[in-house]
Amino acid sequence: MSRRNQRNAGEKPLRATERKFTFRMQKKLVVLFVFVLLAFLGLSIRLFMINRENGEVYKRQVLSQQSYDSKTLPYKRGDIIDANGSILATSEKVYNVILDVVALSEKKDYLNPTISALKSCFSIDENEVRSYITSHPNSRYKILVKQVSYEERVAFETLQDDKENGGENIQGIWFEDQYRRTYPNGALACDVIGFTLGDNMGSYGLEEYYDDVLNGMSGREYGYLNDDSNLERTVKPAVDGQTLVTTLDANVQAVAEKYLKEFSDAHLNEAREGLGANNLGAIVMEVDTGNILAMASYPNFDLNNPKDISAYYTEEQIAEMEEAGTLEDTYNALWRNFCISDTFEPGSTMKPFTVAGALDCGAITGGETYDCKGVLEVGGHKIHCHNRYGDGLLTVQQAVEQSCNVALMHIADAMGAKQFTKYQHAFNFGLKTNVDLAGEARTENLVYTADKMVPADLATNSFGQSFNATMIQMAAGFCSLVNGGYYYEPHMVSKILNADGSVAKSISPRVLKRTISSSVSDTIIQYCNGVVTNGTGKTARPAGYAIGGKTGTAQTLPRGNGEYIVSFMGYAPADNPKILVYVVVDRPNIAHQDDAKCATKIVRQIMTEILPYEGIFMTEELSEQEQKELEELSANLTITYQQKLAEMSVSGNDPVVTTEENAGDTANPDAESGATGEEGQVTQKIWETFEKDPNTGNYIDPETGHQIDPDTGDDLDGAETGQPQGESTESPAE
Amino acid sequence: MDGRFRTVRGGRFGQEKEESYVDYTLIFTILFLLGFGLIMIYSVSSYDANLTFGDSAYFFKRQLYSTIFGLVMMFLVSLLPYHFWEHVAVLGYIVSGILIGLVLTPLGYEANGARRWLRLGMSLQPAEVAKLGMIVFLAFWVCKLGKVINTPRGFWATMIVPLPICLMIWKITDNLSSAIIVFGIAVIMLFVASPDYKRFAIMIAGGVAAAILIVLAIAKSADAEGHGFRGRRILAWLNPEAYADSFGFQPLQSLYAIGSGGIFGKGLGQSMQKLGYLPEAQNDMIFAVICEELGMFGAVAIILLFLVLLWRFVIIANNASDMFGALLVVGVMAHIAIQVILNIAVCTSVIPNTGISLPFISYGGSSVMFLLIEIGIVMSVGRGITLKEI
Repeated sequence: MSRRNQRNAGEKPLRATERKFTFRMQKKLVVLFVFVLLAFLGLSIRLFMINRENGEVYKRQVLSQQSYDSKTLPYKRGDIIDANGSILATSEKVYNVILDVVALSEKKDYLNPTISALKSCFSIDENEVRSYITSHPNSRYKILVKQVSYEERVAFETLQDDKENGGENIQGIWFEDQYRRTYPNGALACDVIGFTLGDNMGSYGLEEYYDDVLNGMSGREYGYLNDDSNLERTVKPAVDGQTLVTTLDANVQAVAEKYLKEFSDAHLNEAREGLGANNLGAIVMEVDTGNILAMASYPNFDLNNPKDISAYYTEEQIAEMEEAGTLEDTYNALWRNFCISDTFEPGSTMKPFTVAGALDCGAITGGETYDCKGVLEVGGHKIHCHNRYGDGLLTVQQAVEQSCNVALMHIADAMGAKQFTKYQHAFNFGLKTNVDLAGEARTENLVYTADKMVPADLATNSFGQSFNATMIQMAAGFCSLVNGGYYYEPHMVSKILNADGSVAKSISPRVLKRTISSSVSDTIIQYCNGVVTNGTGKTARPAGYAIGGKTGTAQTLPRGNGEYIVSFMGYAPADNPKILVYVVVDRPNIAHQDDAKCATKIVRQIMTEILPYEGIFMTEELSEQEQKELEELSANLTITYQQKLAEMSVSGNDPVVTTEENAGDTANPDAESGATGEEGQVTQKIWETFEKDPNTGNYIDPETGHQIDPDTGDDLDGAETGQPQGESTESPAE
Repeated sequence: MDGRFRTVRGGRFGQEKEESYVDYTLIFTILFLLGFGLIMIYSVSSYDANLTFGDSAYFFKRQLYSTIFGLVMMFLVSLLPYHFWEHVAVLGYIVSGILIGLVLTPLGYEANGARRWLRLGMSLQPAEVAKLGMIVFLAFWVCKLGKVINTPRGFWATMIVPLPICLMIWKITDNLSSAIIVFGIAVIMLFVASPDYKRFAIMIAGGVAAAILIVLAIAKSADAEGHGFRGRRILAWLNPEAYADSFGFQPLQSLYAIGSGGIFGKGLGQSMQKLGYLPEAQNDMIFAVICEELGMFGAVAIILLFLVLLWRFVIIANNASDMFGALLVVGVMAHIAIQVILNIAVCTSVIPNTGISLPFISYGGSSVMFLLIEIGIVMSVGRGITLKEI
């Protein structure tokens, strides 16, 4: 106070503006300070309140925001490769282009160079990006383009690195890793492989069945807080999926698909609008392992673009289906694997099973003879043979060769329903084969049980009608008929490899059960060889080979609609079956569908190409015509085949020569055909007494004037009369 | 500062030795705040600076240069007798106005979406010049008015002085917060100079009522589209969660930072909110990060430091050798007090979001330089205090 008083005494000369800071002002300044103090106090209380009331919530909030910092590292889904190592399905690394608007907007100079670089590298829509940048100035993550290739990414980064041309102004773009599933062979084995939808979800086939094996585990890069609340970064790398090594052989598969498509194309729009058949299926299996070498069906689709059905439907049709809501059904029909998912009445390919069962349980000895009059009355139903004139007197072998329904009904009758269903069960009818593919049909309710089976059911079942089976059931069962009675579980995958190539699991062929004795198996082989040498399957024999097999011509429901499923089950070589080829043609697009030649010809074509490839040598002499055919064919083979065939033909002369020398040892078919030829004369075919048409070489039925096939006795004009023909039966009454 | 200002002068009137006054508390408080500010800027900005510039010390270095330059200026200004400012008061007022106008010329440039800066060899915010200009001019003006300040005419004449500059800052540079600060400085200086209380009470009551009315009107319309960014900031202030993605984002993140700090905080450098979540973390929102890293303890310590600083101003003003010097100190004190209060109020969502930096601590070259010049003036005033035998 004394100081101020002194100053106030005013010894100093005052300037114009010089006045004293009065006591009143000092007081007000202190008042002001008190106000400021109160404000500070208020704010401190506010800080305290925030911490007390929301501290915990905000702490968690801060931590939860941090979790955005973690990032998923994608794994690579495993490959699917064929037995030779060719890639059927693989995942390639691609990149998503991410836009960070905040980084891009940091400088005005960034915008235009970046957009023009994006435009030139990824052909993006410039206006769209610009409007996004304006409307979302705070966006840090926007996927601009999905799945660009490595080359495209490098092209963009080269622009960025080009400092002389303003590359440093390309900013705010980064790349995110991803994997894209690709199928290098397009449609090859489409139904078997299946495809993936987004997020590595397998659909259909191997992709679905082995989804867990193929998928790996996503890695993660994340930050977490340690005890000292320090943010630590950790990377947990992704575990890539495992690779499937399949038993499929891409070459065999390609051959099978080629001929199915060829058939379909040949009969496109022939008798009706549409493909050459509703469905075409082919299975090629190793008889002694259950390994599936090929499983093909047609129509097929491109695995890289499974929703593209423009090959089969016009745009209007697709739009119509979309409107009617049937598009999904169409997709489903296309994507499902006909060979395992569709059931049908197998028809006469069932006959060897019935005969094998009867022989194995001792119901017949094989020495019986049956008199076929063309029809048999069972349980009040007249059930026709495929040949309405009757096959006459037949041995068991002839019954199989000529595919006589009446004889088979007698054989099944001798077995009885109990034995018959027991053997059906043994051959896995009504059960799943457990083939390692997604979508195998359940057939449990499509076969009879012994207590529900009336005589008419037994009779029709004996020749493969009125119960349903899948192609894979037929093929797997038939393998056991001709390999000595061993039922192998049919399978597709032989090995599972880790991402580093080491073997994680080896899957060896698995015998599930014995179906029949090996002596019965030998007998069945003998019968089925006869089918090809002098029965219904002559047209299936590939040039230079002796094979066996069985035809099937099954009526569909409702009976008498003139629609058939024709099939041929063939194996080679005849004396020691190694390879089985089963072809089914579902309602061929031809005037008279009950023509087993549809299937036998496809089997012949497939075998002609694959038998040499599989290292099976020719044993039969080639006629001049066959020689010519083969030469023509070799021009159309794929490169791998030409090499194989060339190797074969070098040594090919040998087998033919040796066959001639060893005819007595190996060429059983010759001896057999001689034997059956004698028997054949004893039981001369009824239609062979008819007059022959000099133009066509067919016999003519004197009653109807219809043409009769000289080999099978089929009525070639029959379908036009609307009568049920072929292996016709009346529908078994329930 | 080795001179220590403890010069011994002979008394003119044969008095005993007088010692000139050096406020060490003030100096050390300022130095501490500056040092602390630099540490915090480095802590807060290193993550962002590394991402953006590839140099984690980018902001730190720039602020360090400004601070050193500012300290040199402070030293020089403190040596300058403060009466020098009397002669440039009118000039300063006019220059402030011209500089603000220059923003519209090509010399001005835009940053963060607002055109508020001048490029004059270095970047300069005219609003900072205007704050200093206003303090000097009002001190001069009040002294000039003399006893007239006690009359209503004097009161209103003083009230009108800051208005043109405030309007220019608001309208030309679109910077309402700086305009409010300049106006607030003027009001506080007038409050100290004028003997009146009633008018100020009425003014404050009126201002608060007007603010409430505006907020109510905006809240009632409840349609964010109809308002400019200030209206939306008010809406976001009333209900930050509803605008969490836009205008409510920064206030909310600031609250998260403060709330997650607890009593002692996460430790220096351990803020998580600074890792890209809290916008302007090294600038307007640095106080929130201080709360997060050092907790309430650190925040209250900083508040107390500012209080010590302001108390030193009170001491110096009350002992200033004349009214001009005292009013200069009051102006500087008003400037710092207003900014500290408003900044902390924004960080704690007491008032709607507006860009005000925390003196000596926030990042910003012009701001720290002009603040240090003002401190230089205060020290110059302090030097004028004569200490007699104590």
